[in-house]
Amino acid sequence: MVLEGDVGAGLIAIGAGLAVGLTGLGTGMAEKDIGAAAVGAITEDLSLFGKAMIFMVLPETIVIFGLVIAILGIFVM
Amino acid sequence: MLLPESMSRIVIVGTKTHMDEAIEAIYAVKAIHLIDHTVDADEGFSLGTPRPYSPKASERLLKVRAMEKDLGVTATTATGVIPEEEIKSQISSDSVELVEDEVMLVLDKRNDLNQRITELNATKKNLELLSKIDVDLELYSGYRSIVAMVGTVDEDPTSALQGCEVFFSPEKKGDNVVAVFAKVEDKDSVLSTLSECGFSEIAVPPIEGSALNALAKVERDLAACEADLENVSKDIEALLEKHKDFLKASEEELSIEVQKGEIPLRIANSDYTFVIDAWVPTAKVELVKNELETKVEGTYVEVVEEKRGRTIHEAEEQEERFQTVPSKLSNGQCVKEFEYCTKLVSVPKYQEIDPTILIAIFLPMFFGLMVGDVGYAIPFIILGAYGLKVTHHKDWRAIATVLFFGGIWAFIFGFFFFGECLGMHFCSSSHMVEGIEQSWEMVLGVELSPIFEGIVPYGTGIGKLFHVGFLLKLSVYIGIAHLAIGRVCSMYNATIQHGFKEAFKEKGGWVFGFAGMVLICYAIAMILVMGQSFEPNLIPLALGAVFVIIEIAMNFKHEGIQAILELPGIIGNVLSYTRLAAIGMSKAGMALAFNYIALDMVLNMLGGTESIVAIIVAVLLFSFLHLVIWTLAILSAGLHSLRLQMVELMNIFFDGGGTEYNPLKIKRNKTISNAKATKEV
Repeated sequence: MVLEGDVGAGLIAIGAGLAVGLTGLGTGMAEKDIGAAAVGAITEDLSLFGKAMIFMVLPETIVIFGLVIAILGIFVM
Repeated sequence: MLLPESMSRIVIVGTKTHMDEAIEAIYAVKAIHLIDHTVDADEGFSLGTPRPYSPKASERLLKVRAMEKDLGVTATTATGVIPEEEIKSQISSDSVELVEDEVMLVLDKRNDLNQRITELNATKKNLELLSKIDVDLELYSGYRSIVAMVGTVDEDPTSALQGCEVFFSPEKKGDNVVAVFAKVEDKDSVLSTLSECGFSEIAVPPIEGSALNALAKVERDLAACEADLENVSKDIEALLEKHKDFLKASEEELSIEVQKGEIPLRIANSDYTFVIDAWVPTAKVELVKNELETKVEGTYVEVVEEKRGRTIHEAEEQEERFQTVPSKLSNGQCVKEFEYCTKLVSVPKYQEIDPTILIAIFLPMFFGLMVGDVGYAIPFIILGAYGLKVTHHKDWRAIATVLFFGGIWAFIFGFFFFGECLGMHFCSSSHMVEGIEQSWEMVLGVELSPIFEGIVPYGTGIGKLFHVGFLLKLSVYIGIAHLAIGRVCSMYNATIQHGFKEAFKEKGGWVFGFAGMVLICYAIAMILVMGQSFEPNLIPLALGAVFVIIEIAMNFKHEGIQAILELPGIIGNVLSYTRLAAIGMSKAGMALAFNYIALDMVLNMLGGTESIVAIIVAVLLFSFLHLVIWTLAILSAGLHSLRLQMVELMNIFFDGGGTEYNPLKIKRNKTISNAKATKEV
């Protein structure tokens, strides 16, 4: 089978997909545990909502990093 | 505005004979934050006892709340407002007791009926089972040598019971009924045989005649009781209508009385005097002093601390109960709405910057930058303004505030920066995705370029999916500026708490670390990403390295290895701001796809612009799909902009854990105070 088109561009696209996909998985795994604990804490004491939310959204940064790498890969490289 | 309002500590001394007047006056000035007296804190003083009227008020309050629960008066029940004087005279003329008598009469009737219905239902259930055996009810008892056992069984026991008279009624759906007549001496063996078959005894009611006749009578009684219960329920509803205003108003009035009556439990009392320690905003000290001293005879107000300073050692020198000063946040009307976001994390300490003003500026701005679309901004502004007008609930007001101000920023960014409405640029440009992306010029067939020329960048606006590199850079620069403000606040906090020298030792290192890491990463990005050569970036790189070394030198002594380990976190925080561009991109991507589906694919599939049906379907689909993006924007843009404040910014300088300033005051909803009532007349 002969590969058509630019192989480099394809590899960048795969890399970008992996960057977003894997970091998304990482974020999801981290938020799963934090979310469960946060809901438990809020059920006990509603005033903890703010703090729980901060902990809950902390791992989101991981997927943003993935997205930045993906964007850099696609648009800059 | 930045720091919580300055507070002073006062001591109010008075004679016990004027305590009630003093309590009234303290509530009237609405500025006194009570410091609870602790047992044995001062020699010769102890905690007092409730005022004489308090126990009676508590008892009445209990009665009123019990009646409210029984009649179904809830927090949301709409009731009228009664003047304070009127409700007071009603309460003092034993209205609570009179209403209680009236309500209890009906409630007792309801309880009796409910009990009777429960009993009748149990009898009915037994009779239904007994009616399956053709034996009159009186025949189950009254024997000397025979014993009768009736009940339900899982399987037929007839074959196992020899020498007994057995009546068995098999049922398809369980509950087989059996009646066994046995000799008295065989009772135990019969019972053991029956229990092997899963026997469960039925109580035979003391009624004569057939079970069917008895069942019919019980059903008639049950229907009569239920009819009575319905009438009683109507009576209860009538009572609810009649007394709900009184109950709500008296609950409020009695709660106020109880609250006032229990003040002596929180203050120091000697045999003849009382002493109240309290915090008052410095600006109101004179007013409070004048009000109390002139209105209440025999009362003297002493200002112990004219103004509490913000340094930590000043607080630590004080007795434990005087160490924590309540924080009275001093923000204007608009900024005040954002205090909710600050309090979500914690109440600021007296000795630190209140971050509300920063949140009020940056939260809506970031929200607007992420949304950045005129089409989404207008509904946000309308919804936010409507919410602010109608709602008084603090949660909803906070959301409405963010939507309103965020909507304004989204309009500004959407019109003047992105030049975009509902995911489409106003003007066509060369950077649009050919064949897929459309502009309003193309959709409406009019020329808009002359209007936007000179207003928006490039004449067409920034493309969220085209000028990606620029938006990423912009996000990072915004992040650096935002975090730099956080560093300044952190230095300021430390300065007011410990003095500049200590603050520089404690926080100065991190300011250098922040600047150093930013410079290093700038240089690296220029070389690796932008493809610049090494030479022009040597200066920022070297300067950054020097700053980082200074940071490590300053912090290593007291923070150890953390001084190095936390350096990458600085870059993590800066990069976290790229979500400003990323969220905008994700929304633009969705809008691009949805616009293509609605205005190109579906429209052309159904016959193009000549077909009315095609246009209607396309417009409906277009509206629905954009509603989806709009709803997602509330969640994603709202949550992410909040997170940038709470995690990235506030973590740098905000400690929290303060006590909220909570002055003694009366809040009336269901009653009108005398002063107000007179004014209204």
